[in-house]
Amino acid sequence: MDRRTFLKRGLAGAAVLALGGGTLALLPTKEIAAPTRALAVISARNFQVLVAVAKRVVPDTSDPVAVAHGVDDMLRRTPREVQSDFDKLLGLFENALPGLIFDGRPLPFTRSSPESQDATLRSWRDSRFALRRTGYHALRRICLAVAYGDESSWAAIGYPTPPAGLNAIAYDDSKAGAT
Amino acid sequence: MKLALARSSPNVIDGSAASGDLTLSCDVCIVGTGAGGAVTAAILAQAGFDVLLVEEGGYYTSNDFTMREKDVTPRLYQEGGARTTKDLAISILQGKAVGGTTVVNWTTSFRTPEDVVAHWHDKHDVKGFAYADLVPHWDAIEKRLAIAKVPVESLNANNKKLYDGCKALGWEADTLKRNVYLCMQTGFCGLGCPVNAKRSMLVTMIPDAIEANAKLVFRARAERFETKGNTIESLTATLLDAEGIAPTGKKLTVKAKRFVASAGAIGSPALLLRSGLDDGVVGTRTFLHPVIGSGGIYDDEIDAFHGAPQSAASHHFAHRDAEVGFFLEVVPYYPSLTAGAFPGFGAEHLENEKRSKNVATHIALAIDGFHDDVPGGRVTLRPSGAPILDYPIPQKLWSAFRFAQKRLAEMQFASGAKEVMTLHDPISRMKSKDEIDRVVDAAPYDVGRVPVFTAHQMGGCAMGDDPKRAVVRSEDLRHHRVENLFVIDGSVFPTSLGVNPQESIYGLSRLMATRLAARK
Repeated sequence: MDRRTFLKRGLAGAAVLALGGGTLALLPTKEIAAPTRALAVISARNFQVLVAVAKRVVPDTSDPVAVAHGVDDMLRRTPREVQSDFDKLLGLFENALPGLIFDGRPLPFTRSSPESQDATLRSWRDSRFALRRTGYHALRRICLAVAYGDESSWAAIGYPTPPAGLNAIAYDDSKAGAT
Repeated sequence: MKLALARSSPNVIDGSAASGDLTLSCDVCIVGTGAGGAVTAAILAQAGFDVLLVEEGGYYTSNDFTMREKDVTPRLYQEGGARTTKDLAISILQGKAVGGTTVVNWTTSFRTPEDVVAHWHDKHDVKGFAYADLVPHWDAIEKRLAIAKVPVESLNANNKKLYDGCKALGWEADTLKRNVYLCMQTGFCGLGCPVNAKRSMLVTMIPDAIEANAKLVFRARAERFETKGNTIESLTATLLDAEGIAPTGKKLTVKAKRFVASAGAIGSPALLLRSGLDDGVVGTRTFLHPVIGSGGIYDDEIDAFHGAPQSAASHHFAHRDAEVGFFLEVVPYYPSLTAGAFPGFGAEHLENEKRSKNVATHIALAIDGFHDDVPGGRVTLRPSGAPILDYPIPQKLWSAFRFAQKRLAEMQFASGAKEVMTLHDPISRMKSKDEIDRVVDAAPYDVGRVPVFTAHQMGGCAMGDDPKRAVVRSEDLRHHRVENLFVIDGSVFPTSLGVNPQESIYGLSRLMATRLAARK
């Protein structure tokens, strides 16, 4: 998006806001699925955003709620600044006002149609702003990494279950192979 | 020594289980148990020093290596596998456990190229040792770790494609050396070897050190050195819970005559910074061998999850004079790791995944640090004290990536690929070699347009004899000002290496530990 388009969209966004799009944009985050256990990092509101993102990103064989929990679990290992940034990123993704300006989407992400959600993901992907592009990849990658880390996604892609029993034949000698 | 005996030795202390603060004394305290720390510990302990190793990660063994990323990646990698550079442009794969990155590396073993050591001597004031001084230490390490060149017959399909493609184009390519003994070709090197065929530090030099009476405290995160004048008096570490995440509220204090930082690139500079040893040089010139990938789609099944992940390489483009050089290697298919690297989402992503059995992913690793306008990144501290690496990718590196992308595609077509895809999002696809220039020239090379990775972190505590440009002296890797602080790990390299780093770290650490042992 160049500066002119940016300004035009900004004006269009303001116009839509004035015409009542703002009311839609200010709707609260939609509750999609309750967490199945306590959240460690992500806020309850942004957990809903993460579930909504996961629904569009991960394959049908994965459970978006389980993926969102897996992401929350993974983030426990990151520095607190990364945790806070990630939570903010979800908030930004949900926020309909920038969504309106940049993507022409008048609803919060959680309340948008699947097609509109995909359009939002692509808009972040193709943004002229590096922050939006890397934000898209941060969300996309962590959801996919969790989903494909789980065996439920393997059959569809022909990835075999690792062989069993190997640990039992591990060498137990610190000098094995030394010459 | 039996590995189970090392793990259960009374010398091995689980910091998460400590019921109170711990205070320990020793001759030499080593922070970190990877390629630098483990070698240093074994050499010093065998020479009769009272050695204590301090490790943030857990002491996992082959029984924990379930070959499933879900179990292993969060435990064995820094930041649970999610570490990135500051602008999120580069994903950082770096180990964290007893044994460090050697537990999860792909076993590729190269000695430091002779011209790199000469470059350090000429351009970075590394006058304290010569290439010939390292040779006997590499010889010894190669014997100890069963490092040997693999035969071409052992290459799995994706390594064979690299090898054949390079040969067909008349490019240099060779099989490489690996630190394995009776490797079963499970392919799971990156998740900890399930059968201990990989001779990592976890199963070699750590037990050697323990056998020679070294002590090891794990789940202890080194926070800072307490200095008085030009001397370190103690190390303070935070003890972590059994998962290695939350502090238990207990701490470890170590008093020692000498301290060695072996926390690796990113980790060692961060420790020095937290200790107030910021001289303007610490953390700078951190190098990554930044990686871009190319997916070759073949008619035959590649099954890139099977067999040694890396067994062939090409250094044909390592030297490009004014341009950044690179070398070509292979990555295995691990479902979680690959899922993030493959572009797209939803149905589009799944389509690529479904073709993954026929995909060989080859990589170009850029050799950073040899050009003035490719100065690497800088490690600083976040408010929490955790490190963050700012590595802005300079234009010269993007240009090298574009050039390398074309060479990767040429090589894949030359080895029979029917289609080649970049990892851009959206993907750029080529159906024949005639399309390479047009497609790659049109593809964007910029932050967040194409994924960049690193599995090789180097630098940040450069060695060299000019204190204005280096953190430690090159003759003994001692800090320029602090008299009893040494840095022995991959962070001392003044540039990247142009080869996978583990054996360079082993050789240099063994040389420097041997010199340190002689000083009694």
